[in-house]
Amino acid sequence: MNAERISSPRDLDELRKRIINQRQENKTIITICAGTGCLACGCEPVASAFKTALQQSGLDKEVEVRTTGCHGFCERGPLVVIQPQGIFYQRTKPSDVKMIVERTIKKGELVDRLLYRDPQTNEVIVHEKDIPFYKRQMRLVFGKNGFMDPTSINDYIALGGYQALARALTAMQPEEIIDEVKKSGLRGRGGGGFPTGKKWASCRKAQGSPKYVICNADEGDPGAFMDRSLLEGNPHSVIEGMVIGAYAIGSNDGYVYVRNEYPLAVKNLSIAIKAAREHGLLGKDILGTGFGFDIEVSRGGGAFVCGESTALMASLEGRTGEPRAKYIHTVDAGLWNKPSNLNNVETWANVPLIIERGADWYAGIGTASSKGTKVFALTGKVNNTGLVEVPMGITLREILYGIGGGVPGNKKFKAVQTGGPSGGTLIVEREWQLDQKKAPQYKSIPKDEEAMSLIDLPVDFEELTRVGSMMGSGGMIVMDEDSCMVDVAKYFLNFLQEESCGKCLPCREGIRIMLKILTRISEGAGKTEDIALLEEMSRAIADTSLCDLGRSAPNPIMSTIRYFRSEYQAHIIDKRCPAGVCKELVSHAIDNNCNGCHACFKPCPTDAIIGTIRQLHTIDQDKCIQCGACYQICKFDAIRRVKRGEGGEIQRKAQEVWKPKTKTQPAAMA
Amino acid sequence: MAMIKITIDGHPIEVEEGSYVLDAAKKLGIEIPTLCHYPHMVPYAACRICSVEARDGKGWTKIVTSCNYPAWDGLEISTDTPRVLNARRMNLEMLLSRCAPIPVLQKLARQLGIEKPRWGLGEDTCILCGMCVRVCDEVVGAHALEFSERGIFRKVATPFEEESGDCILCGACAKVCPTGHIVMEDIEQREIIHDEITLGPNAAISIPTRQAVPNVPVINTEYCIHFNTGGCKVCSMVCPKDCINYEDTEQYEDIKVGTIILATGFNAFDPSPLKQYGYGRYSNIITAEEFEMMNNASGPTGGKILLANNKEPHAVGIIHCVGSRDTNAHPYCSRVCCMYSLKLAHLIKERTEAEVYNFYIDMRTPGKGYEEFYERLSNEKVHFVRGRVAEVTDWAMTPEEEDRLVIRVEDTLIGMVRRIPVDMVVLSIGLEPHKDAEEVRRLFNISCSSDGWFLERHPKLGPVSTFTDGIFIAGACQGPKDIPDTVAQAGAAAAEAMVLVDKGVVELEPNTAYLTEEFCSGCKTCIPLCPFSALSFNVEKKISAINEALCKGCGTCVAACPSGALQQNLFDDEQIYEEIKGVLNYV
Amino acid sequence: MIKTNEVRQSTDRAIDEIVDRYGAKPNALIMILQDVQKHHRYLSRDDLKSVAGKMNIPLAQIYGVATYYKSFSLKPKGKNHICVCTGTACHVRLAQVIIEKFETDLKIKAGQSTPDMEFSLETVNCLGACALGPLVTANEVYFGNMNATKVDKLLARLKGKEIEEKAEEEAA
Repeated sequence: MNAERISSPRDLDELRKRIINQRQENKTIITICAGTGCLACGCEPVASAFKTALQQSGLDKEVEVRTTGCHGFCERGPLVVIQPQGIFYQRTKPSDVKMIVERTIKKGELVDRLLYRDPQTNEVIVHEKDIPFYKRQMRLVFGKNGFMDPTSINDYIALGGYQALARALTAMQPEEIIDEVKKSGLRGRGGGGFPTGKKWASCRKAQGSPKYVICNADEGDPGAFMDRSLLEGNPHSVIEGMVIGAYAIGSNDGYVYVRNEYPLAVKNLSIAIKAAREHGLLGKDILGTGFGFDIEVSRGGGAFVCGESTALMASLEGRTGEPRAKYIHTVDAGLWNKPSNLNNVETWANVPLIIERGADWYAGIGTASSKGTKVFALTGKVNNTGLVEVPMGITLREILYGIGGGVPGNKKFKAVQTGGPSGGTLIVEREWQLDQKKAPQYKSIPKDEEAMSLIDLPVDFEELTRVGSMMGSGGMIVMDEDSCMVDVAKYFLNFLQEESCGKCLPCREGIRIMLKILTRISEGAGKTEDIALLEEMSRAIADTSLCDLGRSAPNPIMSTIRYFRSEYQAHIIDKRCPAGVCKELVSHAIDNNCNGCHACFKPCPTDAIIGTIRQLHTIDQDKCIQCGACYQICKFDAIRRVKRGEGGEIQRKAQEVWKPKTKTQPAAMA
Repeated sequence: MAMIKITIDGHPIEVEEGSYVLDAAKKLGIEIPTLCHYPHMVPYAACRICSVEARDGKGWTKIVTSCNYPAWDGLEISTDTPRVLNARRMNLEMLLSRCAPIPVLQKLARQLGIEKPRWGLGEDTCILCGMCVRVCDEVVGAHALEFSERGIFRKVATPFEEESGDCILCGACAKVCPTGHIVMEDIEQREIIHDEITLGPNAAISIPTRQAVPNVPVINTEYCIHFNTGGCKVCSMVCPKDCINYEDTEQYEDIKVGTIILATGFNAFDPSPLKQYGYGRYSNIITAEEFEMMNNASGPTGGKILLANNKEPHAVGIIHCVGSRDTNAHPYCSRVCCMYSLKLAHLIKERTEAEVYNFYIDMRTPGKGYEEFYERLSNEKVHFVRGRVAEVTDWAMTPEEEDRLVIRVEDTLIGMVRRIPVDMVVLSIGLEPHKDAEEVRRLFNISCSSDGWFLERHPKLGPVSTFTDGIFIAGACQGPKDIPDTVAQAGAAAAEAMVLVDKGVVELEPNTAYLTEEFCSGCKTCIPLCPFSALSFNVEKKISAINEALCKGCGTCVAACPSGALQQNLFDDEQIYEEIKGVLNYV
Repeated sequence: MIKTNEVRQSTDRAIDEIVDRYGAKPNALIMILQDVQKHHRYLSRDDLKSVAGKMNIPLAQIYGVATYYKSFSLKPKGKNHICVCTGTACHVRLAQVIIEKFETDLKIKAGQSTPDMEFSLETVNCLGACALGPLVTANEVYFGNMNATKVDKLLARLKGKEIEEKAEEEAA
């Protein structure tokens, strides 16, 4: 269908009707998730296999193969959902395609082994909407991803896209739009949580011209990929939001600053922008209203700090991405010292919803302080990893168990990290109980810190900040008992040290010194005054850092100390890593459970495993570098991670009692 | 901008809205320490040492950097609460762990009460304050320096850490660096004379000499950064009376005068061509003029007599007649050198412990008290060696000549060639006419002598006037002389000029030439012939014109004029015929 | 690699073309440098000087930008470019083991290239495919769910022949 300029809301309505009419209702559409995650899993061969198979069966005219954006259930990719029934096939391989075409497409039968099986109830669930992972979500922003080809503007229009834009430009005044956004309670989804309506109002009021509207797509938090999937899967929603915002603020120039590491997002966004321009929904004289606004895509250079608004604008100007003081706000003087309004990708994507369905509807979702939904990237030690969109106020329990499906293996939850390197680690369930009577050296830990579990914490901006973390951009990393909190804090500090721009003293030197202290602790050279020293340094660094990277750098340390002080004490006083991660404090040893399967032999990088098939294996304590590869691989729970030096004892005892195993069942591991 | 009220440490002050807290504190006399702040540059806020606590009186409080925090009405600032002091101390301790024991950091550490930094000291002499980068970017405009890498690897560098092609060698970065991390290095293959002591002008804007008239600074456009890159302009920012005008240029003015006195002075002889003296080749060989500059209390050494390596000399040799009484330079005696050489000898004896040697041909000390002065110096144990210096060399032949300059001279009074080791050599340079004396004299239609000095009308009876009426000469431009003589000559010239001015009329000889306009064809033959420049061309009338005041009645133009338009009074053809007739009648 | 005049000239022309494509706008500097880097897989001295000249931006500023951002390399990179993701999710799934395995097998540290310039090893911040952690990209092809055995296989394949679309195999 050739691009035709839409020059009025009526044109848009008619175009939508035409597209829908041209499409067969209830046509069978095979949607294949083609987000970066599923691409890496190999969805492209699946898609081409389908096309070939359908052609061979002569069904290529009746059945459509549509590659869509990210569906969110990244754990189970490549995903194939057959519409209109919504039959959900997971972990599809090209070799499965023929069977799907033969049985499901032609005969309406199911291919059982590709269906989803709930790991907790073992139940088989056929339809996507019934799968708990999806059922318990509220996929307002993300929902369209599964139904549309991101490179097709017609798909977006057919699903009702750009109606909000038409209404905003022709039936509302700029001030009305700002009021609506204010009333909805929308807060920034990039991490700051600043009320979006208030920001727009300040920018509108600011003196200076031209004004800029910027989309922050420099999603740098490790473990967060919501913005990527939104831009890859539904770029038009972001474009629509930006045009509405630009109209409300009075801007004609827009930029989207995308991380260089997201090539597919850049590609799909550029295609969408071109299509929108051709249809008169972007560029000059949008929808025939005379309002002009255009968007330029700019790529980042690989710097986490460029997610900070002033650093982003410096990078947009072609300079090094160093932040500057925000005593004068960017809405007053930002990009090239002009008033600039910066919002996150997800924030922009929420705007068309608010305009379409109204602020009251939006404010009805969520809690008193945090309205609407939030997309989280649920990753780590949880069964169902992927992107989940939930209403604000949902509890951690519902997310981790209800949607996440619990922790894999025989393990227990330990902690959840939200807000990325600027956020905090929250204790979820206390597994490692501390008996203060048996270990009097831990008497110094306050009672309330020890007893907590935050599994029932409602997730919203205020609550997360109250308990020492923050919402952040939405990365939610789940950790189990095999994660050491000192190591986690060390990991984040190392990340921040690499990403610090180095301009201001406290961040550049402070993070370096704190990392040295943490490294010392993790290597068994910790001193009793180290925790107090870290707390003192954290106060000064948080007080005097120039930008939020430095200001929030102490958060991972402070939150892990708050909830896991005993773990720190174990490292410092006992010289022991309870989780068995910190190399200098741990010894790996094989115990009595070993059944001689020899699986650990090859992965060992130093050839430290001694043993032959069906015999008790041992780890050479001198060669072992504590990498944990054997621990990862062993299906029989035979690898013990004990305090440094105690490995020999374990292996001696094992040798005494070990008997050759006969037909043992492996321990259940997902 | 509106004026608002803020308080700092309880002291109220009215400031412009949006101005920075650090400047307001300075006005109140409250010292807030800084490391990366420099006036006239945009505040950088990288060191965070200037942190203060800001409050609004209603419970809101925040730690901000005072160097770039804009003041608003009702702002309350505390510069010394425990929270602020702890933050400052912590920051400095962290910086110390990266840096070597630099004086500026040690001083600040003492101020803040840090005795033993918890993380020890490091080795870096750069504190990453960014002042060098900022001055090169904002003020100078050369953009030769930049920060490279990021995070803990951040450092100041030129591209690829090589010599930068954009650097204009202005030295601004070295000047603003608080730690001495940046030094100006001599670039090889460039001739720099007197490398450690610069005896020449060393600022792009300065008052040229102490006695300059008018006594105001002038911009040397060759070294000025603004004229090189368009940047800087710091001088106009600091001038309270707004006197700096970059567009100022030379202007030509036409002034009508009746008499002119030429007092263009002399040029000091440059001893570089006289290779035997080693000027420009060896260190510590300087001219008397440069010695005077060094000796001056406002000079580069503060008035101390020092060698290039900042030590005092043990022996100084003063060589007379450099450039004078020399067939290879000027044959004449420059008249003043012996006396000033004796003066320099006396100064050196007074100020240092050095031995002084004067190497002379003849000692010329005419004048009041001059011979007595020479006597006195002999008594002060100044060594006088009568003989021409053959060469000054650094080639040592004995151990006591090592690392010193050696003067080889024939001492005619004892009849021996001597090698005298000294540490410093002062060349008593002579006086010579300016290089453009020939052009100047043509402009004024006067003559020069064979030496190049302006020619007086009569060596004994007309010392200040020239062959051109109304043009007088005074001072050294007429010949080498000292100050008393110059003053006397100047008075004489002024008096003679005043006579003309006073009289108001000029007496003329009657036998001037005159022009009959109808006969003049405008051929211009006469104009270049007049030795007194009395003839000029009237462009409108297209004929010649005579200035009767200048005409001396030599008759050259009359003889040359092809049409007979020019005739001479008293020497008409008819008058001459009548005279002949009269004489013949008598015979 | 000795740069002959021809190579230099053709690179200069390519640089001119890239700069013009972005309209020589100063805010496109990062994107321009990224495109220039694609030619030789790194930015040489001459490349930066050409860009500075063509865009009329001081060389010091371009050098500062080129050394600030992680996507630029001023040193030549190996033929096979291996990136190990060190995002939190991958870290929790023991990405460190994968890094150490590569370092041991290739005998270089992360951030370096092998002396024969066949391989270069880098760590990269989260690539956004967290469900597939630990994740490795080789020449921009994603390999998920890595473990020590798969590292061996991957290196053997890279050393042997070209990378094909083998994502299907590794998806298991």
